[in-house]
Amino acid sequence: MNDTTTATAADTSAAPALPKMRAENVNVFYGDKQAIKDVSIEIFDDKVTAFIGPSGCGKSTFLRTLNRMNDTIPSARVEGLIELDGEDIHAPAMDVVQLRARVGMVFQKPNPFPKSIYENIAYGPRIHGLTSSKSDMDAIVESSLRRAGLWDEVKDRLDESGTALSGGQQQRLCIARAIAVDPEVILMDEPCSALDPIATAKIEELIHELRGRYAIAIVTHNMQQAARVSQRTAFFHLGNLVEYGETGQIFTNPTQQRTQDYITGRYG
Amino acid sequence: MSLFVAAMIILVLAAAAAFTTRTRVSGLRRGGERLHSLPGYHGIYVFLWSAVPALLLLAIWAIVQGGLVEQAVLASPAGQALPDFDLQRDAILSEARAIAGGYQSSGFYPQSEALAPVHAAARAHYGWMGAGVAFTAFLVGLLFAMRRTGAAFRARTGVERWMMVVLVGASMIAIFTTLGIVLSLMFETLLFFQKVNPVEFLFGTQWSPQTAIRADQAGSSGAFGSVPLFWGTIFIGAIIAMIVAIPLGLMSAIFLTQYAHARVRAWLKPILEILAGVPTVVYGYFAALTVAPAIRDLGVTLGIPASSESALAAGLVMGIMIIPFVSSMADDSIAAVPQAMNDGSLALGATRSETIKKVIFPAALPGIVGGILLAVSRAIGETMIVVMAAGLAANLTANPFASVTTVTVQIVQLLTGDQEFDSAKTLAAFALGLVLFFITLLLNLYALRVVRKYREAYE
Amino acid sequence: MVDRDTHEPLMSAHTLKAFDEDLDQLRALISEMGGLAEHQIRESMRCLTQRDVEGARKVVADDAKIDELDRQTEQRAIQTIALRAPMAGDLRDVVAALKISTVVERIGDYAKNIARRVEQLETAPAIEPLSLMPEMARIATEMVHDVLNAFVERDAETALRVARRDQAVDDFYNSIFRTLLTHMMEDSHHIGHATQLLFVAKHLERIGDHATNIAEMVYYAATGGMMADKLERDDTV
Ligand SMILES: Nc1ncnc2c1ncn2[C@@H]1O[C@H](COP(=O)(O)OP(=O)(O)OP(=O)(O)O)[C@@H](O)[C@H]1O
Ligand SMILES: [Mg+2]
Repeated sequence: MNDTTTATAADTSAAPALPKMRAENVNVFYGDKQAIKDVSIEIFDDKVTAFIGPSGCGKSTFLRTLNRMNDTIPSARVEGLIELDGEDIHAPAMDVVQLRARVGMVFQKPNPFPKSIYENIAYGPRIHGLTSSKSDMDAIVESSLRRAGLWDEVKDRLDESGTALSGGQQQRLCIARAIAVDPEVILMDEPCSALDPIATAKIEELIHELRGRYAIAIVTHNMQQAARVSQRTAFFHLGNLVEYGETGQIFTNPTQQRTQDYITGRYG
Repeated sequence: MSLFVAAMIILVLAAAAAFTTRTRVSGLRRGGERLHSLPGYHGIYVFLWSAVPALLLLAIWAIVQGGLVEQAVLASPAGQALPDFDLQRDAILSEARAIAGGYQSSGFYPQSEALAPVHAAARAHYGWMGAGVAFTAFLVGLLFAMRRTGAAFRARTGVERWMMVVLVGASMIAIFTTLGIVLSLMFETLLFFQKVNPVEFLFGTQWSPQTAIRADQAGSSGAFGSVPLFWGTIFIGAIIAMIVAIPLGLMSAIFLTQYAHARVRAWLKPILEILAGVPTVVYGYFAALTVAPAIRDLGVTLGIPASSESALAAGLVMGIMIIPFVSSMADDSIAAVPQAMNDGSLALGATRSETIKKVIFPAALPGIVGGILLAVSRAIGETMIVVMAAGLAANLTANPFASVTTVTVQIVQLLTGDQEFDSAKTLAAFALGLVLFFITLLLNLYALRVVRKYREAYE
Repeated sequence: MVDRDTHEPLMSAHTLKAFDEDLDQLRALISEMGGLAEHQIRESMRCLTQRDVEGARKVVADDAKIDELDRQTEQRAIQTIALRAPMAGDLRDVVAALKISTVVERIGDYAKNIARRVEQLETAPAIEPLSLMPEMARIATEMVHDVLNAFVERDAETALRVARRDQAVDDFYNSIFRTLLTHMMEDSHHIGHATQLLFVAKHLERIGDHATNIAEMVYYAATGGMMADKLERDDTV
């Protein structure tokens, strides 16, 4: 019927308002090696978008292009158009520091700074000069921790080291830290891969709560997790975006054989 | 028989035994038996058991033999005829030893020529005896090991145990050497403190160690207050040198780890490390011939009384010398800060220098402090630069243009030239050395603790 | 949408072999249930035509076997969902198996009900519509047989054909209904027996309907699409 390699084929059913972020024909290279091949995708404001795919298929790479974290890798080279609210993020007018404040990131391994819990949260707002007084800062710290569902657990020990928390708490601290600078998009790279099911459930609930305030993109190896938290799912394979569509459809009735094989456990 | 020849023979025999054993055990395997250990291990096992104890005995014997031979010589009729006076007797004995060994054909003392044959005979006697003991040990070890080797024998584990013994032995040598140094220092220091009051030594501010050899000479009583020396040491090594080395070392480390391109880093880092390889005497004459005059001129221009050997000159050059220590420790600890910290900060929209200042540097601080402490302990133990550029005057001054002296300089002064080994002046060197040793030891211990604590931070 | 009409080839094996075994067992259970249900229908009809009351009692008793298989299927399906967390095609398969087993159990109940009526009809005189019924039963049985085969083979085409055949069963029912009605009006003595026969026909017609339901499930499991959409599209073409 139609060319099955254009993954957006399945995407006609949902076309709400303008996308928050849009990638068009993006290619990423590490040296001579191409890690992302001609990927076009749209990320929406009020949706959680999950990126799934086998290890090494380029999910993290693609996620990192969205806030230009790949700039920190000397060998990485990005081609193609990426827009945030219609602005080209590679345009000279776009300040990368500002971009990263607007597009926050949470990493696979919790990476709190070896500072106090309070300082971990205050770090971003302080850098960006978001507050003018100590009480403002206190308010930001509290509201970020509250939104990350961590406030009750840490409110009595804000001056303890962030590294002294449990893995799940550390990850929520990192999410709180990202929220504190009031980003528009939050990127999460396998945020639960090191956590137990309860901590995972808390993070998932948190993602659910945050949806609507932020556009969220999450990389996960856990199909169930993608199915649980996301509204839209993108399946990557060998650097290609194979299929992108409603999560419900991807997990019950994917259009591509490769997607079907991957999510049903017939890969390799 | 010379002990050296005996050692060689034992080595050759042990190697032969090892080889035979290996062949024999290989034969077992070809005969269809399942070996626990490879034949090579059996060979090594036999070699170790037969050679090591025998060689150790030989080594011990070599140490003891000298005394035994001497006693034998003294006990001989010719020996008993020797004078009692120690110095002369020792001279005769050593001459006799030389003649007996064939290094010397005739002696100054007539007695020595008579003693030479006695000496040679005693040596031969004890040589054979030592060789006999060693060969016995060899045979016992060999038989013991050979009887054990066989298909089921766990030669591998046996060799493993031997390896441990060898390794422990090696580290013991280093430890005992350190202990020996400390003990000898302590011994001499105690002698010193019998002559000079320790309180005066540690807290006195007057240093002039010129004691007279004869009591009627002028300046017969020296002053041994070491405070000016330690002040000079700290002033040069821990203050001026660090004012130079810490900022330069840290900044170059930050540049190398954070900003430099991989290619630039690949060039710069080795060049920086060459600084550490320059002999200190080269730094010394650079300080004395180039830097010191320049600083004196500067001082004169500024109207500050400047001496031609200044604390500043020595401190500056020492600071340069220390840069690689500071920068490579800082480099290591900055590089050890997980990339995740860096990424986490950048992803929040921090710039690179904000990230360095607020995340990386604090995280690396314990390691950096450890590096600085090690550098300080290195600087205060440094000798050559200060000997050549710092001067000899024991001044208690904070003027960097003035000449000061350091502990190490004074140790060199006290021990060079003709000395009486039991004068307070000479013994003072040991006391200074001991105190310096303890200071650097404490600094090192503290630095190691700081560094270790920081290692745990990210686990 | 991508065209899903052609039935998917049997998929390659899972990386986790035990998962394949679970799915195979589930299919085997459904297949066994289907075989049993067909047998029950055929037996009940034989007893009806041959007035074999003993045989009919056995059919009634054997229905418990189908119930037991239904229970097993349900258990296995739930276990597979819990332990393997099936996705996409696998998920549709497992859920279909779960639903199909319930429907087959219903089909078994209809066969049992038919067998129960044999006793009441033992003394009945030969009525003409009775001769139509074996043919109607044959078609219904065949539908059950084919649709369950289609499930086991993930064969959407066959499922479609089964669904289309339901019309034939309905036609039989209508014609039997009219004939029986005529009989009852002609002779009020026949009313009792004819009503029983009418029930039998109704049961057969329901069996056909259930087979059609199964066909829809099989179609969805195999393609992920809705059969109704497909039939509609085919009709408009
Ligand atoms: N810094 C790098 N330098 C060179 N190649 C890289 C680098 N980072 C990633 N790659 C390569 O790019 C490809 C995509 O990597 P990426 O990390 O995006 O995969 P991924 O989908 O996130 O995998 P995973 O699920 O294991 O995290 C891989 O083949 C990887 O080897
Ligand atoms: Mg990844």
